[in-house]
Amino acid sequence: MSEVATPSKHAVLATRITDACSAHGVVGEGNPQAIAALEALPYPTTRQERWKYTRVTRLLDIAPQATPAGTLPEPVLAGLDAHTLTFVAGQYMGDDILDEGPEGCFVGPRSVALERYPQRVLEGSTDGFATTEWFAALQSAAPQDGGCVIVPAGHRLERPVVLRHHMPSGIGVAQPEHLFLIGDGATAEGIIWSDSATDAAGLLNGAITAKVGDMADFSLEIVQDEPGELHHIGHHHFTQGANSKLTVRTATANAHWLRNDLHIVQDGVHADSTFHGCYLPNGQQFVDHHTRIDHAHPDGRSNELYKGLAADRSTAVFNGKIMVHKDAQRIEAYQSNRNLLLGEQAAMYAKPELEIYADDVRCSHGCTTGQFDREALFYLRSRGMTETAAHNLLVQAFLAEVLDGFREEIRDYVHDVYARRLGWS
Amino acid sequence: MLKIENLHARIGDTEILKGLTLSLGTGEVHAIMGPNGSGKSTLASILAGREDYEVTAGSITFDGVDLLELDATERAVAGIFLAFQYPVEIPGVSNINFLRTALNSIREQREEAPISGKDFLAKVKACAQLVELDGKLRDRSVNEGFSGGEKKRNEVFQMAMLEPRLAVLDETDSGLDIDALRIVSHGVNSMRSADRSFLVITHYQRLLDHIVPDHVHVLAGGRIVHSGGKELALELEEKGYDWIVDAQATEQA
Repeated sequence: MSEVATPSKHAVLATRITDACSAHGVVGEGNPQAIAALEALPYPTTRQERWKYTRVTRLLDIAPQATPAGTLPEPVLAGLDAHTLTFVAGQYMGDDILDEGPEGCFVGPRSVALERYPQRVLEGSTDGFATTEWFAALQSAAPQDGGCVIVPAGHRLERPVVLRHHMPSGIGVAQPEHLFLIGDGATAEGIIWSDSATDAAGLLNGAITAKVGDMADFSLEIVQDEPGELHHIGHHHFTQGANSKLTVRTATANAHWLRNDLHIVQDGVHADSTFHGCYLPNGQQFVDHHTRIDHAHPDGRSNELYKGLAADRSTAVFNGKIMVHKDAQRIEAYQSNRNLLLGEQAAMYAKPELEIYADDVRCSHGCTTGQFDREALFYLRSRGMTETAAHNLLVQAFLAEVLDGFREEIRDYVHDVYARRLGWS
Repeated sequence: MLKIENLHARIGDTEILKGLTLSLGTGEVHAIMGPNGSGKSTLASILAGREDYEVTAGSITFDGVDLLELDATERAVAGIFLAFQYPVEIPGVSNINFLRTALNSIREQREEAPISGKDFLAKVKACAQLVELDGKLRDRSVNEGFSGGEKKRNEVFQMAMLEPRLAVLDETDSGLDIDALRIVSHGVNSMRSADRSFLVITHYQRLLDHIVPDHVHVLAGGRIVHSGGKELALELEEKGYDWIVDAQATEQA
């Protein structure tokens, strides 16, 4: 007689999530290393530094139900001249595919890319966080559909690509995976827009992977606009080659409970990375941005700027790690994280982490958390502005540094969401 | 227009104004002079509605309205303007956006329609010319990176834009070279009119060569201890403040 051990709660969750994903449709078999990692890795707890302020025990109880068919709201970026692909709960909705053949560009779902160009897709895939982070392993063990953008060496994608992912009503689960393969000297712009129904709940555990070649130029705007009670974990992994330029902007417009892990690896000399982000939780919302950049080669440059406000009883977390490897001489890395607290019970946990193993580098980091400048408020009010108008102007000014970097349509939309939230308009 | 009676005010435990009485008629220019620490800037701050000060006794009425019942915003809407001694830098807010927001906020509270874009720009142009503020400064963030003189010119520019009924100038001459002093004074003088009053607070007489007051008051120890015509400023410049302060002390003894 052998004893059957009771499976752990997180193993049960993993089974529940992968079963639900499989029932709706996954792409491919699942990454074997991720499946192994999922069994081996511990479930994150607040005793681990990376999860200190991010309680994931509550996620253990998520029990996805069958996804009801709801109506898909009009996309916010409907007016943008772009190549748009739509996904609902990890499933491709059948928009037009751009396919220029084996030597040309491809913009379509990952499921189709894997059928038509398995070699190209697999060559470009990386494990990202899949073997080191439990939730990333879970995602990679049962990956669902997402966009796949392939721009071969020397090509330029004329129109931006919009990958829209929608979570419908009810307690759902989705594990979409988006992939960008930008060849040497290629140029492309992407937008990943995650939205949801106002009563969406459950888990969105998604991955974004981009591989940017030597001398390539890639910019990505990520908008997270999920009202409702969804738990969203994003694994955003970027690798860039020599002399390449990467820009990633993340705007968290709406989020109930959100954790973003963003990791950029500079895998060549003279690489240039810009990554900015903004967030404005209110109510009892929770928003956590963990970022990391690896300067692994000489002469790279990085510029990180995250700005946010925490209102009411919300919590915001920022953790930014700069890792400068031994050979990464003469790099310049700048990190800045600025926060405003708008509520007496709002909380902000911010931590910069610098690990430097090269001796000839320029690194700086600045991290501040504060409240409105009283002197500035008085100045504005003495000119006749109401307290609300004065707050409005100061918040706009505070966020402009990040928001102004987005394209106009996104900047205006996110600004309006924030404005409504703070009762400006 | 403005009537201050027996005003007592303190910040924390320190009493700064100790029974200040002053009255300004419509269209008049009054200068307040006095030694450092006499309470000049406190008076300016209290008039504009800064909340750090506590008024413990006395009253201020403005056009018959109890000013102490109004907050800073409401005072600006009522027509009071303070030119700050130390104008505040506000990164990320352009001077123009700042003024448009202020102007329309005031108009809204007065139940007036917002100013049209065309009228606003015409006004900006006219007012900027008044203090020789060039286009670059209009578009830059409010006071950010401005020199001392540029900040003071910007204050007078804002004053011209907002057209207050009572303008309080708090040491607007401090930190100005002779050219900036001339420009700022010219801006103020061209705004003088029969329905606008000025309270000019200064430590030095030289500003009053340019902005000639109708009345001069000496503020010392938290009270107005002496008042006179414009010639009083010259006398103070020559003899200092001690003779008045001493005479006052003798009188009280």
